[in-house]
Amino acid sequence: MAFDKMELRDVEVWDGNFAAAQAMRQCQIDVVSAYPITPSTPIVEGYAKFLADGYVEGEFVMVESEHAAMSGCIGAAAAGGRVATATSSQGFALMVETLYQASGMRLPIVLNVVNRALAAPLNVNGDHSDMYLGRDSGWIQFDAYCPQDAYDLNFIAFKVAEDHDVRLPAMVHQDGFMTSHTAQGVHTLDDDTAYGFVGDFKPMNDMLDFENPVTHGVQTEEDWHFEHKARQHNDLMTKVLPKIQNAFDEFEKLTGRKYNIVEKYDLDDADVAVVCMGTSVETAREVALEMREKGIKAGVVGIRVVRPFPFFEIQEALKDIKAIAALDRSSPNGAPGMLFNELAGALFNTDTKAMLSGYVYGLGGRDLTKKHLTELFTELQANVDAGKITTPLQQFIGVRGPKLAFL
Amino acid sequence: MSEMKKIKNLKEFSTSADRFEGANLLCPGCAHSIIVREVLNATNDDLVLSASTGCLEVCTAVYPYTSWDASWIHIGFENGSTAVAGAEAMYKALKRKGRLKQPDRNPKFISFAGDGASYDIGFQWISGCMERGHNMMHIVLDNEVYANTGGQRSSSTPIGASATTSPAGRVSYGEKKNKKDMVAIMAAHGIPYAAQVAPNKWKDMVKKIQHGMAVDGPVFINAVSPCTTEWKFDPKDTMMLADLATDSLVFPLYEIIDGHELNITYRPKNVIPVEEYLAAQGRFKHLFKDEYKHLIKEWQERVDANWEYLNRREEARV
Amino acid sequence: MANTGWDEFEIGAMLRTFNEPIENIAGTLQEDRPYSENSSFRASVADWRIEKPVFNKDYCIDCQFCWIYCPDVSIISRDKKMIGVDMDHCKGCGICVEVCPTNPKSLLMFEEKADEEQAIANWPTKEEKEK
Repeated sequence: MAFDKMELRDVEVWDGNFAAAQAMRQCQIDVVSAYPITPSTPIVEGYAKFLADGYVEGEFVMVESEHAAMSGCIGAAAAGGRVATATSSQGFALMVETLYQASGMRLPIVLNVVNRALAAPLNVNGDHSDMYLGRDSGWIQFDAYCPQDAYDLNFIAFKVAEDHDVRLPAMVHQDGFMTSHTAQGVHTLDDDTAYGFVGDFKPMNDMLDFENPVTHGVQTEEDWHFEHKARQHNDLMTKVLPKIQNAFDEFEKLTGRKYNIVEKYDLDDADVAVVCMGTSVETAREVALEMREKGIKAGVVGIRVVRPFPFFEIQEALKDIKAIAALDRSSPNGAPGMLFNELAGALFNTDTKAMLSGYVYGLGGRDLTKKHLTELFTELQANVDAGKITTPLQQFIGVRGPKLAFL
Repeated sequence: MSEMKKIKNLKEFSTSADRFEGANLLCPGCAHSIIVREVLNATNDDLVLSASTGCLEVCTAVYPYTSWDASWIHIGFENGSTAVAGAEAMYKALKRKGRLKQPDRNPKFISFAGDGASYDIGFQWISGCMERGHNMMHIVLDNEVYANTGGQRSSSTPIGASATTSPAGRVSYGEKKNKKDMVAIMAAHGIPYAAQVAPNKWKDMVKKIQHGMAVDGPVFINAVSPCTTEWKFDPKDTMMLADLATDSLVFPLYEIIDGHELNITYRPKNVIPVEEYLAAQGRFKHLFKDEYKHLIKEWQERVDANWEYLNRREEARV
Repeated sequence: MANTGWDEFEIGAMLRTFNEPIENIAGTLQEDRPYSENSSFRASVADWRIEKPVFNKDYCIDCQFCWIYCPDVSIISRDKKMIGVDMDHCKGCGICVEVCPTNPKSLLMFEEKADEEQAIANWPTKEEKEK
C-alpha cells in the first residue's frame, strides 16, 4: 500500500501534541497501539488523521486502555518493528506495570508522555507527577521544554532506543497544555530527511523470524533475576548517555539545533542557579536575565535527560555555583523532591561548597510566575550573602494559605 | 492461504513433530500440556505464541530454559492476549511494507491463558482483542481455579468447589457463585468462532482449532483442563476426569459460529450423572455430606438445564 | 549456565530455542533439531519419577492414545509406530498406562528402580473380562 509524503513549510505553527504526532508520522512507525487521554489525546488523534488521509503505512491499533496500549506495544516490539504510543497521567499510572516489562525485555518503544498531575483530586493539567512515577521504570526519559523540543526529541528517542547497543524504551516528556496545547513556530524537517536521520528499523530477537524462535518474558527467580536487572542498569548507566550525545551531535549537524544532556543557561559566571524541567526552564531563563540586570548573577540548568540521570554532567554544570535551587513539580509526599535528592547525591562527594534548597511548585497546572522566580532567586542570593541557607530546605511556592515549608 | 494439515486419524496425527517440549515444570499429569500439544500439532504453519502469567507460563519459561519451539512471549497476568494482538499488528504492518524476513509464511497467532487470566484479570484485554478483529486465537486452559498460586477461586470456579479463598468449612460448602459463561460472552462479540473443547476429545479439538485457524478474525476457545493438584485426583486419572467432564455434560462440547449459530459437537452415548464427576474430585468431597447433598441435585439440574438450552439454541438455527 | 555473570547473557533475558535457523520447524523431528542449551528438551525431569512406565511392544497396537495424551512429549512415535518412552522427560504420571486399550496393557507402571527386562519377562497375561 502506498502512502503519501507530506509537504511541510520550513516553519509550522504547531502545538507540542501535533509536533509529536508529526514526528511519529515521519518516523514511519510500524505499530502504534494507543488509548486517548487528556492532554495527550491530540497526539493519538493527529496520528489517526494522518492514517485516515493516507500518510501512514503502519498499523494503528486503538485499544481499550493504556495498559493494553503498552501491552500491544510490547507484543509488537517483540515481534520486531518500530513502535510508539502516547499517554498522560492516570493512563501512565495504569501503564506502569507494563513499563517495567517493556524495559526489562529490552524493547525499544517510544512513549510520548504529556505530563499531567495524578489524582486524587482529579486534575487534567500539567505537573511532573507522571514523569516522576516513571523514573525507576528503566526507561530513558527525555524532557521537552517547548513544541520544537517535542518534535526533535522524538527523532532522537527512536535513534537512541533502537540502537542495538541500547535497546531500551524511551519517553519523550512535554508539559501538559503549556507545551502540548500551546502553538509555537516549529522548524520542520522534510519527510525524507527526518526518516533518514532515524534510519530503518533493524530487528533484533524478533518473534517474526520464524526460523529462529525466541522466548521473551521468562521467569527468573533469586538465582537469575539480579543478574538481568544488573545488566539493564549497567546498560542504562554506561551505554545510553554517549549514544544520546552522538545523536545530539548528529542532529545538530543536520539541523543546527543543539541539544545537551544538561542544558546550561548563563551559568559561566553565575553565583545562583535554578535547576528545573519543562516549560519552567524558559520562564526561569527570562527571570535569570532580569536578575542579572539587578546585579544577581543568576543562571538556569535544564535537565534534558532525566533518566539515566546525568550525574557527572550535573556535577560539572553546578561546580562553581554557590546557591542552587531544585524545582520539583511533583508532590514528594513525605520526602525531599526527586530533583533535590538527585542533585544532593551528585554534589555530595564533590568539592563544591554549594548550598542546595528545594522548592515544590506548580502542582496540578498552577502557574510558576516570574514573581515566584524573582523571589526564589532573591532567596538564593540571600543564602550566598549569608554564607548559609536562610530558608527551610523544602518550600512550597504558589500555594494558598499559610507558608508551607519543611526541613 | 496455507493448506490445512491433514489429520485423518490418530496414527497420522502421531507423525507430528511437537513444538512443545518436555522437562517443563508442569505437574505430572497436567492437562495443560496435553491441550497445548493438541493445539500446536493441529497445524504445520508457523506460530507466534503468548502465555499470560499462570501455570503454563511459569512452568515453560523459567530461566534458563524454554519449552517452546516457536516464538513465544509473556508480559503479565492480564495481557497475553494483547501481546499477541500487538505481534499480529506488527505482522500485518511488516507484510504490507515488504519487510518480513520470510514473507511466504502463514503464521498463526495464539494466546494461552488460564481461567483466572481470562475470566477475571485479563477479561477486558481479551474483550478488546475480540472486538478489534485481530487474526488471533485466545485459548483458555480452564481448570476453574488459580492453580499457579495455590488454588484460589476465580470466576470460573463452580458452585460447591472448595478453593483456598472460598474454602468449604464448618458453615460453608465452598464457592457460592456459578461459573461465568465465558464462551457466550465472547461469542456475543460477534467473533467468527467460539468453542468449548476438551483434551480427551482430540479429534473434536483439532477440528475446532483448525476451523479457528482458517477463519479471518478473532477466535475464542475454552478448553477444560482437569487439574490434578487443585481438583484433587490422582495424576494418572487426568483423562478419566476429562471424560467425566464431557460425558456428564458439565463441560458440553459445542461451537458458536459468527456469534449466533450454535452447534453441539459431541453427544455422549451414555450421559454420566454429574454426581460421578463430582465424586471423582477432592474439591467436591464435602458435598457428599448429608447437609450438602441437595447441592449435587442442584448441580445436575443446572447441567440438565444448560444442555437443554444448548440444544434449543442449536435447533433454533438463529 | 550456572555461574554466568550479568554481562554474559543476551539482553532482556531472551532465550533462543535453537542454535541455528530451522527453515521448517514443524517438519523437523526432534532428533534433527539443533536445540540450544536453553531448550528444556536438553533438560531432564527423570528425578521427579517415583514410578516409571515400561513399554512392552509385544502387545502394542500403535493406537497412539499414549502419544496424544502424554503431557510431557515423552511417548516417542515415529512413522506411526510407538517406539518407546523418553525417560528424560517422563514425569511418571501414569496417564499412558491408563489410556492404553490393549489387554494386557502394553504400558505398565513399575517402581523407578525396577528392572525392565524382568518386568517384561513377568508381564501379566490377558485379563478375562468380569462383566
